[in-house]
Amino acid sequence: MIARRALLLLLPASVAHAADAALERQMRALAAVTERSSRFTEERAIPELDVPLPNSGTLRWIAPDRLEKHTNWPIDERLTVTGDRLIYERADRGLRRDFALAEQPEMQALTEAIRATLAGDLPALRRHYDVAFSTSDAGGWRLVLTPRAWRVLGAVQRIVVTGQGAELRGVDTEGQGGISRMRIEPAP
Amino acid sequence: MRRLAGVLLLLLGLGGWLGWTVPPRTDLAAFLPPGGTPASAFLFRELQSGAATTLLLAAIEGAPRAELARLSRDTAAALRASGRFAFVGDGTLRLGEAEEALLFRHRYLLSPETHAEAFTPEALRPRLEALLDGLRSAASPLLARIGFADPTGAFFGLAATWLGGSQVETSDGAWFAATAAGAPRALVVARGHGAGLDSEAQQAAMDVFRAAFTSASPGPARLLLSGPGVFSAEAAAGIRADVRRVALGGTALLAAFLYWRFRSWLLLAVVSVPLLAGMLAGYAATTLLFGSVHAIALGFGMTMLGVAVDYPILLLTLSRESESLASAATRIWPTLRLAAVAAATGLLAMLGSGLPGLVQLGTFAGAGLLAAAATTRWVLPRLLPEGAAVAARPLPPVILALTSALQGRRGAAIGALLLACALLVGMGGPRWQRDLAALSPVPVAQQALDAELRGQLGAPDVRSLFVIGPAPSGAEVLRRSEALATAAEPLIRIGMLTGLDLPSHYLPSPELQALRQAMLPGTEALAAALREAVAGLPFRPTAFAPFLVAVEESRTMPPLGIAEFTASAPTLASRLAPLITRHEGAFWGIAPAAGVTDPQRLERAAIALEIPGIMFLDVKLEMERLLADYTRLTLLCALGGGLAMLAMLAFALRSATRALSVAAPIAGALVVALAGLALAGEELSLFHLASLLLLAGLAMDYSLFLAHAATADDGVLGDTFGAVLTCAVSTLLTFGLLAFCTTPVLHGIGLTVSLGVVGAFLFACAMTPRRAPELA
Repeated sequence: MIARRALLLLLPASVAHAADAALERQMRALAAVTERSSRFTEERAIPELDVPLPNSGTLRWIAPDRLEKHTNWPIDERLTVTGDRLIYERADRGLRRDFALAEQPEMQALTEAIRATLAGDLPALRRHYDVAFSTSDAGGWRLVLTPRAWRVLGAVQRIVVTGQGAELRGVDTEGQGGISRMRIEPAP
Repeated sequence: MRRLAGVLLLLLGLGGWLGWTVPPRTDLAAFLPPGGTPASAFLFRELQSGAATTLLLAAIEGAPRAELARLSRDTAAALRASGRFAFVGDGTLRLGEAEEALLFRHRYLLSPETHAEAFTPEALRPRLEALLDGLRSAASPLLARIGFADPTGAFFGLAATWLGGSQVETSDGAWFAATAAGAPRALVVARGHGAGLDSEAQQAAMDVFRAAFTSASPGPARLLLSGPGVFSAEAAAGIRADVRRVALGGTALLAAFLYWRFRSWLLLAVVSVPLLAGMLAGYAATTLLFGSVHAIALGFGMTMLGVAVDYPILLLTLSRESESLASAATRIWPTLRLAAVAAATGLLAMLGSGLPGLVQLGTFAGAGLLAAAATTRWVLPRLLPEGAAVAARPLPPVILALTSALQGRRGAAIGALLLACALLVGMGGPRWQRDLAALSPVPVAQQALDAELRGQLGAPDVRSLFVIGPAPSGAEVLRRSEALATAAEPLIRIGMLTGLDLPSHYLPSPELQALRQAMLPGTEALAAALREAVAGLPFRPTAFAPFLVAVEESRTMPPLGIAEFTASAPTLASRLAPLITRHEGAFWGIAPAAGVTDPQRLERAAIALEIPGIMFLDVKLEMERLLADYTRLTLLCALGGGLAMLAMLAFALRSATRALSVAAPIAGALVVALAGLALAGEELSLFHLASLLLLAGLAMDYSLFLAHAATADDGVLGDTFGAVLTCAVSTLLTFGLLAFCTTPVLHGIGLTVSLGVVGAFLFACAMTPRRAPELA
């Protein structure tokens, strides 16, 4: 009885160990790409709405810490994260806001999910989330991120980042009864 | 000898006891006038004890941006933790969860957008479209949380009102602006709990602020503090430093000079007896009449009483070799008495000015002079042992030659007087000080920093405002504030002002909240309106259920009152607190006006509004008017005092001609002083007037003693010249030092008296008749 329990305890540990190695390998592969431009399409499903809200734009990553998300349809807005700062711009309304990321925990949780993944920065990911990693046979991988902060959990319950090799393919964000699905492909 | 030491000890002991039992007051409340009109009464009370006086503005400079932001955050956190401040504003300022909840719950009662038309399908439609647009943006998580319970955006509007008041650039948890040189500067604002210019509380708040900054390990960065509390502390420190410097320097110079003249340490002790007695009497008289002495009146009064050394100097210099001090005192007493009484009359004339500070100053100096003269007459002669005559050393021959060359040159004197008059007239007469700020001992650089910080923080110095009150309750203040908002609308429309910071802007009156409740639709009607508005939009039928519930709840909840608001929303209440105050059971509100271009025109328009229980007040205009009133009154008093002095002279000398010839040097001294001040570009203030009265008293001493000596034996005149010159130099030494002070008031007194004393001596010499040589 006791032996079985001990075995149960041991088993996930060794699996986790193997997964850790794979995760670290994956992170190194991601970190090797220091600059990338991608296009994204996103669909936000909100329980109060009949239909999901689509939008699309470009993502741009410059190592070590700059991420730009430029939505150009149906509205024009730009989020730029550099270091610990966040700039929100909405050109059509002449709006520009400059925040410290730390002031905006929800926003920080969302942006770090993409940025820390692209940077291959596992410690940063683990600072904000509990991380579960799995791979598929065809080089596909999947990160399930659960926010560690209670306040963030109120708005975001789970972020699932998927990819293929060194490419990011999708970010699904679940929270407040809704889900936002982002599909990503390299810019032509 | 022993008696002298005993008297000195007694005086010092009495002085210490008096100062201990009735300490001087340092709060400005005792120094400023009570205010003749309700507006000025309110103004002075606010200036003395209003919430505005607890404001501290801070700038952090001299480090890179990120470091400044860290210092700003750490300092603000330490300030909040200290518990000494009701409000600390910086870039990390945001509403607490409980405060957000309170605003959210009462959103339809507090929001100015609550009116019947706001809930029609036509009004709701664009709101729903805006919500949909927001849900597409990065703000989506926030809107998904709040937007369905508040599709009209009432809560966001309220939050913007509360937090978005200032135009400060926020980044990295700090408010940023630029210094004049373009370097970054972080800004922090704090408002203390304590009300009023209680200088100790202000000092303590500043100390806490500096300690909070230091504990954030600032490195090369520096903290600049400003605000009314800093001003009063700086002013007090400035005056203290100046007075200490002058007291030490003046005493040392005077002692050195007197020692040079008399070569006697004994004399120094003797001279200090009437001086101490005068100060004691001045302190006692002022305390007796007004309950306490203000520190400023005390400082200036003691400075002015410095002239009381003249009396013992005259007595000791004029006593003849074979004469006992007692008989010398008896001999010169009539002249001394006349001089002292006339000088005191002039100073006591300031009692008529009605300005508490000047009244105290007049009482202190007047009573002090009389006591010093009496002490010289009755006490001094008994203090010195019989044989211990103190004789002045002969003056250097050069000086004697100069004074005798000057003697009797009435033509030259009158010529100089006319020249000074012409100069004065040519420059358009003396210029009057109209701005009270120029009297402030706060350095110009500090005043400039204050103006700069206020500008950058969007917290301009309150200048034009509406005063609401007295009202029986806070709710009544809010009600009148709403009436004011309606009445002032046309004025804003025509651009006389750009806006009013109204108390009701932050918390509507219970009546208005009830009115809004009455305008909220019932659930059925609202649901129908929503169904119509939502047509064609992708919202589910149940999406706005929380909105329906909230509106229904709002229709019956009790209105939010000031007490609950203050208790459960401290950050929000700190915006309202400076606008509503309580004084002697009555409530008062203020509504500062922004963007006023022409205060006088606005004042006329505001009076024409005729709103009951509300008055308009422009601080600068009101101050200028008050100052002009007090200046006029003080000038009248000074003229009256001058005339009284002249009448007294005429009566005592029993001849108008002799009185006029004694008065001529006085007039000369005054005109020379005025011309000198005008040349130096000084603007005349009340304190200059007080100094002129003091100067008139001094000039009369010289004039009387010289005129008296001219009629006596030959040897006397030379002695008297020596005595008067000694007095004049003593005065010049102490007041000359004052002229170098940075405190405007001290500088003004020093310059006036120094200029005048030189004029007084030269004129008195020139007006003394030259003895006809054939009679010798």
